[in-house]
Amino acid sequence: MSVDKLKKDLDKVLDEALKLITNVNNHTDLENFRVQFLGKKSILNGLMKSLSDLAPEDKAKAGKDLNLVKKKINDFINDKKISLDVTTDDNLDAFDSSMPGKLSSLGSLHPITKIMNEAIDIFQSLKFEYVDGPEVEDEFHNFTALNIPESHPARAMHDTFYLENKNLLLRTHTSSVQIRTMSKKRPPLRIIAPGKVYRKDSDITHTPMFHQIEGLYIDENVSFANLKSTINIFLKSFFEKDDLKIRFRPSYFPFTEPSAEVDIEYFDNKGNKKWLEILGCGMVHPNVLTMANIDCEKYSGYAFGLGVERLAMLKLGITDLRLFYENDLRFLKQFQRV
Amino acid sequence: MKFTRSWLEEYIDISVSTDDLCHQLTMAGLEVDEIIKIDNDFLIDVDLTPNRSDCLSVYGIARELNSINNNFKLKSNKNIKVIPSCQSHQLKINIEEKNVCPIFSYMSLENLNSSFEAPSYITNRLNQIGIKLVHPIVDILNYIMIDIGQPMHAYDADMINGSISLGFAKKNKSFKALDGNEYQLTSKNFIISDSDNVLSLAGIIGSEHSAVSKKTKNIIIESAFFNPDFISNKARDLKLHTESSHRFERGVDFELSTKALSKFSEIIGSNKACNFSEIISVNNSDYLPKKNKVQIDFKKINEVIGISLKNNDVINILKSIGCVFNKKDNTVINPSYRFDLNIHSDYIEEVARLYGYDNIPSNPENINISLSSKYLPRNVINHIKNFLYNSGFSECINYSFVGDNEFENMNWKNENFNNHYKISNYMSLDQSKLRSNLTGSLIKNIEYNSNVNSENSYRFFEVSNVYGANIEQILTCLVSGERHDESWAIKSPKFDKYDMNSIAEDIASMFAIEKHKLNYSIKGHTFNKKKYISLSLSITDLINFLDRNKNEEKFENYSKLPNIRRDLSFLIDSNISYDSLIKKIKEINVHSLKKILLFDLYVGKNIPEDKKSLGMGFIFQEKNKTLTHDEVDVFMNSIIDKLQKKFNIQLRK
Repeated sequence: MSVDKLKKDLDKVLDEALKLITNVNNHTDLENFRVQFLGKKSILNGLMKSLSDLAPEDKAKAGKDLNLVKKKINDFINDKKISLDVTTDDNLDAFDSSMPGKLSSLGSLHPITKIMNEAIDIFQSLKFEYVDGPEVEDEFHNFTALNIPESHPARAMHDTFYLENKNLLLRTHTSSVQIRTMSKKRPPLRIIAPGKVYRKDSDITHTPMFHQIEGLYIDENVSFANLKSTINIFLKSFFEKDDLKIRFRPSYFPFTEPSAEVDIEYFDNKGNKKWLEILGCGMVHPNVLTMANIDCEKYSGYAFGLGVERLAMLKLGITDLRLFYENDLRFLKQFQRV
Repeated sequence: MKFTRSWLEEYIDISVSTDDLCHQLTMAGLEVDEIIKIDNDFLIDVDLTPNRSDCLSVYGIARELNSINNNFKLKSNKNIKVIPSCQSHQLKINIEEKNVCPIFSYMSLENLNSSFEAPSYITNRLNQIGIKLVHPIVDILNYIMIDIGQPMHAYDADMINGSISLGFAKKNKSFKALDGNEYQLTSKNFIISDSDNVLSLAGIIGSEHSAVSKKTKNIIIESAFFNPDFISNKARDLKLHTESSHRFERGVDFELSTKALSKFSEIIGSNKACNFSEIISVNNSDYLPKKNKVQIDFKKINEVIGISLKNNDVINILKSIGCVFNKKDNTVINPSYRFDLNIHSDYIEEVARLYGYDNIPSNPENINISLSSKYLPRNVINHIKNFLYNSGFSECINYSFVGDNEFENMNWKNENFNNHYKISNYMSLDQSKLRSNLTGSLIKNIEYNSNVNSENSYRFFEVSNVYGANIEQILTCLVSGERHDESWAIKSPKFDKYDMNSIAEDIASMFAIEKHKLNYSIKGHTFNKKKYISLSLSITDLINFLDRNKNEEKFENYSKLPNIRRDLSFLIDSNISYDSLIKKIKEINVHSLKKILLFDLYVGKNIPEDKKSLGMGFIFQEKNKTLTHDEVDVFMNSIIDKLQKKFNIQLRK
């Protein structure tokens, strides 16, 4: 018996044990395993006896190797024992399926993310391409190119956050992304731009930051009737209600003409029919096209903008806007489902 | 714009219920905000869009109703003849900027009876719509403004000294208005002054000095037209907003200036309040806003709206809103009260609006676009968010702005950072700059939650832009407490930094890149005695990397022959990184070495202080032959040899 031979034998035993332990599923199997590898008739025990044949100088080293293997096999047995103790599968009577599981590893996605994804998925199925752009913008992309000149009273509608010394501002709508896209690509264009926007406003119905999804479609012969169709399809599919009542009402935005606000019908808690404003839209203003170097005689287009918080509140029945930004687990964990 | 139904009925016959009336207004773009029943009447509040200054009067609403629905007939109003009873003040008026003020009309009042009160129908109506009563003459002026839309101003004639001039203010001139406040004017403010004082900020507010009071005997009434281009934003710049500025900056019909004074004379004359003069008007009509002639393209109108109206139907709609249509050249001219009709698409809007948005069909377009390509950044972010959601993390969304707190003096990689993007007009100090990391926000979220919900494990994440030296989109995961929620089966260990390492590793694996190619950082934080661990990772860099290195997913055949595993336990200097160890082992280039794993790390008792004990497993396998233990011994020896030479490792047995 040489040290090398002993070492090879030990390796073999360990390989074998490693293989077999995975097949052990109950305490009886485990006891058999113990007897096979550590019992009196085990190979290991045989090797132990053969230690005495070795030269004294090899004996100590070989003994250590052997003990290490023994310890490892013991570890296998102990680990298995623990897992068998808790998984009591082999004893069906004792298994209580109504018990809580061991570990839950589900977190939650913020409702804004979920609602945004639902909306984006619908628009992508309508062949809108997803684009995004910077939240810190300049006045040109946020106002001027959208037909909102300095003197325009509409600028009073947006109370804007301006940055110090940098001639920059926080975008008040994601329409600025449309301008950036139009400067890079030529029609036909069909895009949606979701993201954070900022307005200097804070009360029960306004937060200084909120989320928008803006859409833009430019091609030859795009009509208001097309816009109505897209919005109708979107709203019915988003609210999963084929008979959703939708109305388009004339309104005013500097960057679209004709412009519309869209209301959906709902019932208040007294059961009264009410109309609730849900989005703004319209045909892209010729000045906006011209500023983007798009021929407004040849092309026309529509644009729309949705408030994500409002969609989320309606769909999920949330009544207080501020809940979105408190990040209270009692709120967040309600949105665990996929 | 507030008015009552009965007031409106002075101008128009309404045969429908108030609800129906309001529905028709709303569907034509004059959104009714509120209907309140008062006595035998209804108070109606219309939320007007800024382009529709023509509807800022009861008469304007009536006129609009008539164009919406021909069944609403405008009533013809008879004028009462009144004869002036005194001479007008002969004011010397010098209009320096005729383009700002093309029409300046006025009349004089003398010997105002101090016991005169405005007629009760006027004060009642003003009360109903919530306009404060000030002075009988001012009340009548306010009434006429609401009634037909012309803002006017009353000056105490005895306070006016010398000639009157209209021009831009000198810089830094201060002006005390009749609201009692002092305003610093700029050279953009258009003012009316006499030889000594500023009498008013034109079209916005009068001065305190020349305002009428109970003692006022003689009055000059101004009724002018100011060009909206020069009035807009001026009041807002001074944080002022008046009924007058609201109208002038949106546009007042210039034909109203003398009409309003006639109406005023009628009321004054029939109530014998005082003597009044004839109307004097300084008129520079060359400077009035030009009426726009626009050629109508019937085909384009139908195309843009998506309908097929006959030319005559279009013409009728345009005529109904007071436009003059010329059949010879198909041109249209806007009425003087419509400042919003300038270009062809303004007329498209009018046709669509009055045709009725409800009547426009809903027709899907034929999309002439190839399938939109999947947007990589959105996919990357969604995969990461879903992975974290499946790993027990809850997503937070916080405001992008923060104040001064200890976590804001670093960028997301924890280097010192002070050069923040600051908001100049912030709402509160704690929202005065853009955040340079997400860790601070998430620590606040956990703090908040541990006050209201007691959990033993917090696992939060957020994906957002941060504003450090660069603007970057990052992910931050922040954990605190134990690794899992409380469970009967498993006693949860506390979080440590290696837990965050696994997240970085998994994210790297999800995108098939090596972990060290991620730009990330793992840090421990202590705040209010509570310990936190964060992982922050640049999504921007990840996306850029993926953009540059498109790696396709390809199957690689694997060996079905048995493998051999060897374990190695050794001591090594604790400052030697695992990475450098792996790198050295790979340098040996053992072809059969298929996998290296770390099964043990120990520091502490029984080990020298500057050492750590590692347990590593090496798995060897070949594609074409079964390896022998002898061969593996050779490989292991070369590995051990290299590590001993390079890192001076000490094997443990």
